[in-house]
Amino acid sequence: MYVAVKGGEQAIARSLELLAQAQRGDTAVPELELAQIREQLRLGVARVMQEGSLYDENLSALAIRQAAGDMLEAIFLLRAYRTTLPRFGYTLPLNTAAMRVRRRVSGTFKDIPGGQVLGPTYDYTQRLLDFEHAPVASVTPADAPLPPDMPRVLDLLDAEALIERIEPGSDPEPVDLTREPLTFPADRATRLQNLSRGDEGFLLSMAYSTQRGYAESHPFAGEIRMGEVDVRVCPEELGFAIEIGSIVLTECQMINQFHGGNGVPPQFTRGYGLSMGEGERKAMSMALVDRALRCDELAEPDDAPAQDQEFVLSHSDNVEASGFVQHLKLPHYVDFQAELSLLRTLAAQHATPSPVQQGRESFEVPTA
Amino acid sequence: MMLAAFADPVFDSQRTFRALLQAMARPAAPRALPVLPPSPAPIAPAAMAIVLTLCDATTSVWLQQPEDEAVHHVRFHAGLKLVEQPQQADFALITDPMSMPPLEAFALGAPRYPDRSASVIVQATAIHSLPCVQAEAGRGVHVLASAQDGATPPQPPPASRGGSTFAGADICASRGGGTFVGPGIRDTQTVAIDGLPADFWHQRAALAAQLPLGIDLFFVAGQHVLALPRTTRLLEG
Amino acid sequence: MTYNFAFLDEDTKRMLRRALLKAVAIPGYQVPFGSREMPLPYGWGTGGIQVTAALLGPDDVLKVIDQGADDTTNAVNIRRFFSRVAAVATTEHTAEATLIQTRHRIPETSLREDQILVFQVPEPEPLRTLEPREAETRTLHALADYGLMHVKLYEDIAQYGHIATSYDYPVLVDGRFLTSPSPIPKFDNPKLDRSPALMLFGAGREKRLYAIPPYTHVESLAFDDHPFEIQRWEHQCELCGSGESYLDEVIVDDRGTRMFVCSDTDFCSGRRAEAQA
Repeated sequence: MYVAVKGGEQAIARSLELLAQAQRGDTAVPELELAQIREQLRLGVARVMQEGSLYDENLSALAIRQAAGDMLEAIFLLRAYRTTLPRFGYTLPLNTAAMRVRRRVSGTFKDIPGGQVLGPTYDYTQRLLDFEHAPVASVTPADAPLPPDMPRVLDLLDAEALIERIEPGSDPEPVDLTREPLTFPADRATRLQNLSRGDEGFLLSMAYSTQRGYAESHPFAGEIRMGEVDVRVCPEELGFAIEIGSIVLTECQMINQFHGGNGVPPQFTRGYGLSMGEGERKAMSMALVDRALRCDELAEPDDAPAQDQEFVLSHSDNVEASGFVQHLKLPHYVDFQAELSLLRTLAAQHATPSPVQQGRESFEVPTA
Repeated sequence: MMLAAFADPVFDSQRTFRALLQAMARPAAPRALPVLPPSPAPIAPAAMAIVLTLCDATTSVWLQQPEDEAVHHVRFHAGLKLVEQPQQADFALITDPMSMPPLEAFALGAPRYPDRSASVIVQATAIHSLPCVQAEAGRGVHVLASAQDGATPPQPPPASRGGSTFAGADICASRGGGTFVGPGIRDTQTVAIDGLPADFWHQRAALAAQLPLGIDLFFVAGQHVLALPRTTRLLEG
Repeated sequence: MTYNFAFLDEDTKRMLRRALLKAVAIPGYQVPFGSREMPLPYGWGTGGIQVTAALLGPDDVLKVIDQGADDTTNAVNIRRFFSRVAAVATTEHTAEATLIQTRHRIPETSLREDQILVFQVPEPEPLRTLEPREAETRTLHALADYGLMHVKLYEDIAQYGHIATSYDYPVLVDGRFLTSPSPIPKFDNPKLDRSPALMLFGAGREKRLYAIPPYTHVESLAFDDHPFEIQRWEHQCELCGSGESYLDEVIVDDRGTRMFVCSDTDFCSGRRAEAQA
C-alpha cells in the first residue's frame, strides 16, 4: 500500500550525521588544523579567497576543511558568509607598481629593469611524484636583495607611445557586483569584476579558445608579477589615506597586437588580470578573456564565444552554475507529470494523424 | 536635541514595509501604519516611517523643503543621499503639496528599465475613504485621518469627525479624488485626498500615456498611508 | 557571531523591499535586484528565500511547499532555515499560513487577501528559450513585442495540433508584460488570474523580482481557434478521491503499476480527515 512520502525532515537529519562522519574520516588520523591548510595548501586557499571574494586565509582554510577539499563548495561557503558582512568603507585603488615583488616574469623582453624573478613557481619542477618527500632544504640567500619597487614592463612601453594609454582615474567608479545586478552591456570595470570572481576552469577554457582561433588576439605576456601590495583607505573623518594592511596579489598584463580601428591608431593593447594570493593561471586567463571582450570598443569581429559578453559574464560564476546544474536533482515530479501527459497526447495523435497535421503546409504564421 | 528614529529598527521597518506592500498591492485603499517615529517639521511622522523603512545611503532622496533640522535628521538616521533636482530622486518627499513641482519633473524610468522611476511621498491634509464599492446615497465617508487631528482611527459611518459628512463618490471627486480601478483593486475603490494642487489629477492622468513608465505615489495623512501605483486609473466622473 | 533576524542584513532587506514595491507597481515586469549569495545553492530557491526574508516578521506563519508537498526535502530545508534564522512559526496548513513559499505549484485551497504567495523562479524571462540575450529580451519587453512567443505557440499548433507547453506556460499580466508563471503546471495558471492574494516571484541566480498584484488580469496565451486548456486526468486521487486536484503519478511495483495521488499534500490530508470525521 502506497503512503504519501513523509519523513523529509528525518532524512535530512540522518544525512547530516552521515556527512559529518564522512567529512571527518578515520578518527584514528589526526584532524587537519587550519594552520596546516593555510600553510601547506596555500594555492587552494588563494583560489577560495579569490572566487569567494573575501581575503581571509583562515576563513578560507576553514571553508576548505568544512567542504572536505571541494573547492567550489568552499567558495560557496565563503560567499554565503561574506554576503551579510557590513561594509565599513572602500579601499583606495591598489598600486601594483609599488608591489613588493616575489615573482615577476615577462615574455616580451629578455631582460627588464629589476630583472626576471622566478620566485616560488611550479614552472620548472619536473612533475615527478615525490615519494620520498624530502625535508625542505634551506633557501639559498639571494646575491643581492630585490629592488624595493620594480617598474611595470608595460609602463616602459608606454614611454614609447606604442601601447594604449590608460589614464589614472579615467575609469568610471565601478559598481559593486555583489550588491548590484549585472546588466548589459557591461562596461570594462564591471566585466573585470565579474571575471575576477569567475571560475578559474571556465576562464581557462575561454582563454584557451582565444588562442585557438576563436577570437584572434595575438597575446604576449607583457608582465606577470606576484607579491605584497599595501591596502589603503581614506576615512572621511581623517581626510587623508592610511594604510590598513597588505595582501598578496598576482597581476598579469597581456600585450596584444592591434592593427587599428574605431579611431584608434595601430598599437599594442592591454588585457588585464588580477587575482588574490598566488593565482597565476587565473590572472593570465582573465587577461586573455578581458582582451577578447574588448572587441566592440576596438571594432573587432565579435563572433567567438569568448567575445560574447552576455555568454561569458552570465556563465562565469561557479556558485551560480553549480547550483543550477545540480538543482536538477531536486524533485520535478509536477513538471514531469505535465510533460508525461503531454507526451501521451502527442504519441496518441502520432498514431492517428489529425486533420491539422495533415493540412500543416497551408498554415501561415500570424504576425502578432 | 536630536529626535530618535524607530525604537526597534528591525521589526518596526518590517511591519511598516508590510503595510506599504499591502498599500501598493491594493491601491487607493488607506491603511494604518503600525509605527509612527518621531519626526522634525515639516516631515510628517508617517512620511518619516516610509523614509526610514525604504531609504538608506544607496537611495537618492529629494526633499521639497530641505530645512536644516529635517536634513540633519534624515542624514543621521538613514544616511540618505540628498539630491538637488527632483529628476535625480529615487524617492521624493512632498511636504507642501500645493507648491509641489509638476509630476513630470520626476524620473519616469527608462523603456527597458521602467523601475528606475521615482516613488513620491505626498503629505496630504486628509484622506477620506469610501468603504463600500458602490457609493450609496446617504452613506457616510470615512474620514480616516487629517493633519489637524493627527492619527485618527477609522470611524464607523456616518462619520463627522474632522469635517462634515459626505455622501457618495461625487463628493469624493469634488474633494480631489474619485473612483479608481486597476491591478490590485477588485472592483473599484473610492477615495478623496485633500490638499493637492487643482490640476494634480489631470497631471497624473496625462502620465498614463507613457505606461509602463510612470511614478508611484504614497499619500500620507495622520497615521494612514495610501498608494497609487502608475497602473491605477481614475475613472472619469 | 550571530546573524540578523531572517539572515539578511537590514540594508539588503531595504534593497529587496524597494525592488518588491516597484515590482508590484509594474505588474509582470522583471525588476533587477542585488541578489545576495544565500546559504542555500542558486537554483534551489534563493530568490524565493530572499523575498521571504524581506517580508518575514514575528507575527507570520510560514508554509513552504515544493511540488505541492510540505515534506519534500528542499521544502523541509527551507522551512528549517527560517525556523533557525527567524524563529518563525511554521505550518503545513494552507489556511493557517500568512506567507507561503512555493516551488512549482499553487495550493489547491483558495488563497485569501491576507496571504502572500512567494514563488521560487529558476528562469524569470519567458522569452529566454527563444532569445537567450538579455539585452535583446529587455528591448522586446519595452516594445511589448511578443511576436516570437506567438510564433512559437503557433508553430506548436501547426506541428502537433495544439500548444506543446505543459508547464511554465507564458501569461500576459494586466495586458502588458509577458511573464513566466515559474514552472507551475499550466493546470495552476487559472489560479493566477484575479487572485485575492498578492503573488511575488523571486529569481535569485538571475537577480530578478516580479509580482502579480491581487485582482489582476492574468491571461494564458492562446488563440481564438485554440483556446487555453488545462490538464485533466481520467483518474481521481486514490487517497482522497478528489477529481479536481493536480495529480502525481506514482509507480507502485516493478510491473509498472501506476496510482495517482494529489500533489498538494495538505489539500489531500485535509480531505481525508474530513471524510473520516
